[in-house]
Amino acid sequence: MTIRTSEKRSFLPKDFWSHIFIWVLILFTLFPIYVVITSSFNPTGSLATSELWPKLWSLDNYKVLFTLESVPYLTWVKNSMIIASINAVISVFIGAASAFAFSRMRFKGRKFGLQALLLVQVFPSFLALAAIYVMMEHVYTVFPVIGLGSLGGLLLIYLGGSMGVNAWLLKGYIDTIPMELDEAARIDGASTFQVYWLIFFPLAAPVLAVTALLSFIGTFNEFVLASLFLQDINSRTVAVGLQQFVGQQFGQNWGPFAAGSLLAAIPLVAIFLSMQRFIIGGLTQGATKG
Amino acid sequence: MYRLAGFTGLPAQILKMGLMALIDSFLIWMFFAALAKESTPLSVVIACVFIAANFVYFAKFTLPLKFLLPGMILLLTFVLVPLVYTVTMSGFNYRTGNEISKDAAIEQIIANGLAPDANNTGYDMTLGKFEGDWSALLLEQGTAKVYLATPKEVKEITSGFEANEYGIPNTYPGFSEVTPDDASTQEAAIVALKFPLGQGQFIAPQALDFAALLTQAMSYDEATDTLTNNSTGATYKPNDEGNFVNINDPTDKILPGWRAWNIFRNYTHLLTDPVVRGPFIGVFIWTISFAFLTVLSMFSVGLLLAIVLNRKIKLRRFYRSVLILPYAIPSFMSILIWAGMFNRQFGAINALFGTQIDFMNSPTLAKMVILIVNLWLGFPYFYLICSGALQAIPAELEEAASLDGASTSQILRRIKLPLLLQILSPLLIASFAFNFNNFNIVYLLTGGGPTDVLAGKAAGATDILITYTYKTAFGSNEQNLGLASAISVLIFFIVGGLSLWSLRRSKVLDTF
Repeated sequence: MTIRTSEKRSFLPKDFWSHIFIWVLILFTLFPIYVVITSSFNPTGSLATSELWPKLWSLDNYKVLFTLESVPYLTWVKNSMIIASINAVISVFIGAASAFAFSRMRFKGRKFGLQALLLVQVFPSFLALAAIYVMMEHVYTVFPVIGLGSLGGLLLIYLGGSMGVNAWLLKGYIDTIPMELDEAARIDGASTFQVYWLIFFPLAAPVLAVTALLSFIGTFNEFVLASLFLQDINSRTVAVGLQQFVGQQFGQNWGPFAAGSLLAAIPLVAIFLSMQRFIIGGLTQGATKG
Repeated sequence: MYRLAGFTGLPAQILKMGLMALIDSFLIWMFFAALAKESTPLSVVIACVFIAANFVYFAKFTLPLKFLLPGMILLLTFVLVPLVYTVTMSGFNYRTGNEISKDAAIEQIIANGLAPDANNTGYDMTLGKFEGDWSALLLEQGTAKVYLATPKEVKEITSGFEANEYGIPNTYPGFSEVTPDDASTQEAAIVALKFPLGQGQFIAPQALDFAALLTQAMSYDEATDTLTNNSTGATYKPNDEGNFVNINDPTDKILPGWRAWNIFRNYTHLLTDPVVRGPFIGVFIWTISFAFLTVLSMFSVGLLLAIVLNRKIKLRRFYRSVLILPYAIPSFMSILIWAGMFNRQFGAINALFGTQIDFMNSPTLAKMVILIVNLWLGFPYFYLICSGALQAIPAELEEAASLDGASTSQILRRIKLPLLLQILSPLLIASFAFNFNNFNIVYLLTGGGPTDVLAGKAAGATDILITYTYKTAFGSNEQNLGLASAISVLIFFIVGGLSLWSLRRSKVLDTF
């Protein structure tokens, strides 16, 4: 190690180019964040009057979000939260059961099932959007609560779509939990269901939480299906609501849009950063295993 | 384990029975609701779920299935069925003007096709109500016969009516003339009136005081599957695109059409019809270049960052937390914010450099904007995975190489990079597949534009296949669900093939 650093002695300070590179990247990274923060406090509120450094600062844009009836921001946040949390919890629960079976049991069709799962999870569910649209239009005529235009229907599509990814991710984690624990429990007379509920579930809890969080973020970000499904202004998710809001008159609603984005992003960023270690572990696991 | 005993035996049985009873009754209710609405596909799906659930949870030998079933049901109904249905839809000519079934189309054609009869028979009319229904007293021009027309029938009357100063009958027992005020407020109902004469003939008001005899212009012959125009005598036969066309003049077609089953039509159109092929090929090339360039740029920056930050440089932890921020912020928001920043007049980018560049109106600049923004969104992910992979490379390799006199850059190029590429190739391919279908970045940033509308182009310069599919299926001018499904099927094959190839290479499939 010492040999290498000494042969590269120059007049520049140590790691000069590294720092330059990092600082360029940091400016690139922070610029949009800076813009959204200053825009959200700029009382003039429109893109046309936005400035790199606003002369006036106020909370007017935030007030718009909470007082204007034509901008049901809180309803959008609530919709997003509801649908993303329900999807995360249910899909992780169901996905964990499938993953448990694939990881711990040997049965006919297991290999085929795993291969199918692996293949299915590379297709985003919105690829079949024309078919989904026609199908859910039909479902609407029979069960309006889970048909086109409803959060319920959207949830079902999300659940189906996240099943493959979640089961696959969780199977990878479960494989790393030592088999000896199951075997010990079995010798003590536990049934498979007991092993699942009482041994495996508590052990896998942190992993399940991370998978649920990733699933939550994925749903929160989903735009295509949500915009296709949710036409009514009060049933929109934040993604669709803010997009339509800023999209109508791009200039005018810039300030409130920035404020709304900032408010919705802060909790997610906070959760992400605090769980960073686990999330990154999950990401790189796939990398080092391949 | 004793404290777990409460979970087996009777309480568990009761719990299971209770749950199953709840699920079963819910499914049965749904089944009958679907039957009541005459929805065969839904009833079949619900019945299948019902049978599968009861079989799996009550039979003894289905242990793995007990764990797998809920996931399987969701995956089958909401992923596999739409996939299969997409393939089916791609075999239909299913678009604006051809959306309904053939029977419904024939019904509509016959209902729409009303034409004056050969003699142009007309009636002077007094509009009013008879026994609560809209009705009319009619004086047939030429013959001077008088009729009372109701929505049920038209009957000739010979007495009991009186005429006004113009000789038009306006009173009859039980008939009350409509006032001009009422007539104007209920115009819609009056315009829609049709008094049936039988044999496909109607008398329909043309103005407030005039009605005409209309005959069904079209009649359908089931035996020969043809439509005949009763006044011109022209014969129309169904073509293979789902329209009735004049047997003597193929351009004379009747609307509406129906969804015609024509399995290869959409695919051959993609490859041979210049109107469809032109934009499709352009979009296809850009999709592949975009996915390739974006993965390359994100990977390069991510890798460089990982190499730099893997050394013990100052402020490493701080850099790391700041630089993964783009990955933590919800991406749809970042994209919309970038879209505002690249605005020509007011955007922060132009303000920063004091320029007035119209990024979104130049195909080249718009493409670069997409690549830059996607780099912003994606480099942290690649940094994270590269950093993980670098740490997974055994330190002994590096030490051995440096003992043999290899320089840092040699170690990097000859040892680390090849190893890294090998470790990361499945993720690189997965990322390529993801960006191949990266709807949000294109749709939210440029909307696929700029689109050369004047040149009649359907696809914009930055449209990728999936946004083009979306526009084809739900566009504002024409909605072509059949063609959109065909493009979706092509994407399935490309992405699926790519993934299979990648899996075969990495031998993941053999390890199960």
